[in-house]
Amino acid sequence: MLKIEDISFSYDNNETNYNLADINQNIKEGEVILLCGESGCGKTTLTRIINGLIPNFFNGTKQGNVYLKDNLINEIPIYEISKYVGSVFQNPKTQFFNVDTTGEIVFGCENLAMDVDEIKSRLDHVVKDFKIQPLLDKNIFKLSGGEKQKIACASVSAVFPDLFVLDEPSSNLDAQSSWDLEDIIKNWKQSGKTVIIAEHKLFFLNNVVDRVLFLENGRITEKWSIDEFKSINHRDYGLRQINLENLYVNHDGYYSNNQDLMELRNFNFKYGKKQVLDIDGVKIPKNEIIAIIGKNGAGKSTFANCLCGLKRSCKGEIIWGDVHLKRKDLLKKTYMVMQDVNHQLFTESVLDEVLLSMGEENISRAEEILTNLNLIHLKEAHPMALSGGEKQRVAIASAIASGKEILIFDEPTSGLDLKNMMKVSENLIYLQKLGITSFIITHDFELIMDVCSHVLHMEDGKIIDNYKINEDKLKNFFLKN
Amino acid sequence: MGLKLNFNLDPRTKIIILVLISFMVFNEVPLYISGILVLVPFICLFFSNRIKLALSYILIYIFAKYIQIYLLPTATGIIAIFLIMFSYTATRMLPILMMGYYTIQTTKVSEFIASMEKSNIPKEITIPLSVIFRYIPSVYEEIKSITDAMKMRGFGLNAKSLKNPLKLIEFYMIPILVNAIKTADELSAASLTRGLSNPISRTHFVEVKLNKIDYVLLVISFMGLGIYAYYFLGGVLFA
Repeated sequence: MLKIEDISFSYDNNETNYNLADINQNIKEGEVILLCGESGCGKTTLTRIINGLIPNFFNGTKQGNVYLKDNLINEIPIYEISKYVGSVFQNPKTQFFNVDTTGEIVFGCENLAMDVDEIKSRLDHVVKDFKIQPLLDKNIFKLSGGEKQKIACASVSAVFPDLFVLDEPSSNLDAQSSWDLEDIIKNWKQSGKTVIIAEHKLFFLNNVVDRVLFLENGRITEKWSIDEFKSINHRDYGLRQINLENLYVNHDGYYSNNQDLMELRNFNFKYGKKQVLDIDGVKIPKNEIIAIIGKNGAGKSTFANCLCGLKRSCKGEIIWGDVHLKRKDLLKKTYMVMQDVNHQLFTESVLDEVLLSMGEENISRAEEILTNLNLIHLKEAHPMALSGGEKQRVAIASAIASGKEILIFDEPTSGLDLKNMMKVSENLIYLQKLGITSFIITHDFELIMDVCSHVLHMEDGKIIDNYKINEDKLKNFFLKN
Repeated sequence: MGLKLNFNLDPRTKIIILVLISFMVFNEVPLYISGILVLVPFICLFFSNRIKLALSYILIYIFAKYIQIYLLPTATGIIAIFLIMFSYTATRMLPILMMGYYTIQTTKVSEFIASMEKSNIPKEITIPLSVIFRYIPSVYEEIKSITDAMKMRGFGLNAKSLKNPLKLIEFYMIPILVNAIKTADELSAASLTRGLSNPISRTHFVEVKLNKIDYVLLVISFMGLGIYAYYFLGGVLFA
């Protein structure tokens, strides 16, 4: 099916620094292959070699050959490759060309100039296969992350390719949607398709992958069958856990001495006529690391926005010690580290970013904060030029500088490997020691087990459970039932 | 009402009307001259089931005209400045904004590409334009989220930020530009893997064609522009 022969590649034409080196693989028809390894190990680059984006879109020095069904891939133009290879990417926001779902599903077929009747029958076929009838003719931007990724899979499926290449498809998905993705891959596998998937989150791939390739610095250093892979210690290789049953609560009990931070009563928010948030009464413990869990669309983000005081029409009582807070007070006490952290970095240097948050500029205090967050060596750097994790720390630094008491993180670990997830954990523990209460909206079971001490479980805009960290309850929610 | 009008304009009609209406920004004319062009966006919004918006548009427009005609001559000082600012922006810009909103909201990317290719406009123009179409909704989302981020850091409509309004613009532009570049890159890569570069001309799953209603609206708009131009040029030529 696919034969990779002595592939080496370097983006910056540097012969001493290969992003991929000496890759040799024979992939048989119907196999499901997992590519894993730390960020920057070359797995995304390998997917780009296979789907033709290298050399058609990304330039660099390439050696070696890839054969797709005995045809040399270099000699096939990229639009021709798209008939045989379907690609799904990490970021649902940027892989859609259309705004409406139906238009997107048929987009590939239109490009390949199939006739309208054929397109119609293929559309019907994938709609049935993926059970997405209710999603047709909708605005893609209004769908949840899981639904978006389903549409992405359906769109590449409509071309009927033989090989699917998925680059971190589950980054933005909740647990249930990840399991749905497993079903999609199983479905492909059953119909004899070959699937190559590069991923950090592994838990949903347990029962569908055949072989695992582990990459390190651009080289394949380990090859496992799935059974061998299940028995290795993932942490030794810097990988996420494949079997969530193997995870245990790291910090049992509360960090501090069980005081209440605040109480919310009749906290509610309507969007138009729809009640998106409806919380009768909930007490929130002080100085803990609190996970907010729930399905995509359960109201977690709305809750976070209301907690930050960003929603003007959010009603309810907020009791803080013995005072009642207003929306404006919340705005002063809380800070959200957004999922797209680019939206909250405004200045030209890291130091300015921190100074901007201070009432009165105090350079030595700012430098102290940067030192503690391991950012001091970057203080003159432009925030936009930093890596994702560094940007996140800059946002945290500015929150500390402005004296916020509550920090809310929106999906801080989506798309992160184990090492970077651990760094987020460290930051959270550091914030806890400073006396800050953190809320974390997350689908990342591993992160919750590692660092959280309290859980708010949301569903349909309500908090249906509010508990001290509890392994059984969490597993009940995250594992496949 | 039992009457169900299939009000679905061809993207070409929408764009032509948008261009025609844009001429209004040039000059201030009496209501009986600009009236037709003002009504076109109203018709589009009203019949595409955006009745509330259509009505508020027309009310704001009338209100602005009212200010211009009856209040401005007697107003003085700072109030006059505000009234002038509001009434002139509203009367000149509002119709264009409404038409633009309507065009963006009701045009699917696939419809747009189909209609452009029907008019034999080359891919090199159609594809970038359709990317703009596709990108506008996400810019809106980004502006919202940047505004939130600024609020959390104490910026917004207060003394601290109004001291330096240029900074505020910078705060919006940098993240939007950085994200635009990233999005453009990822989007191009994704569409290449979907065969967009195929030299054989694409097929179109959605059907677009100019219907009666398109012609009616086009004729109305051209008439409106004709009257407008006659008044405007007449004023210049015969003065």
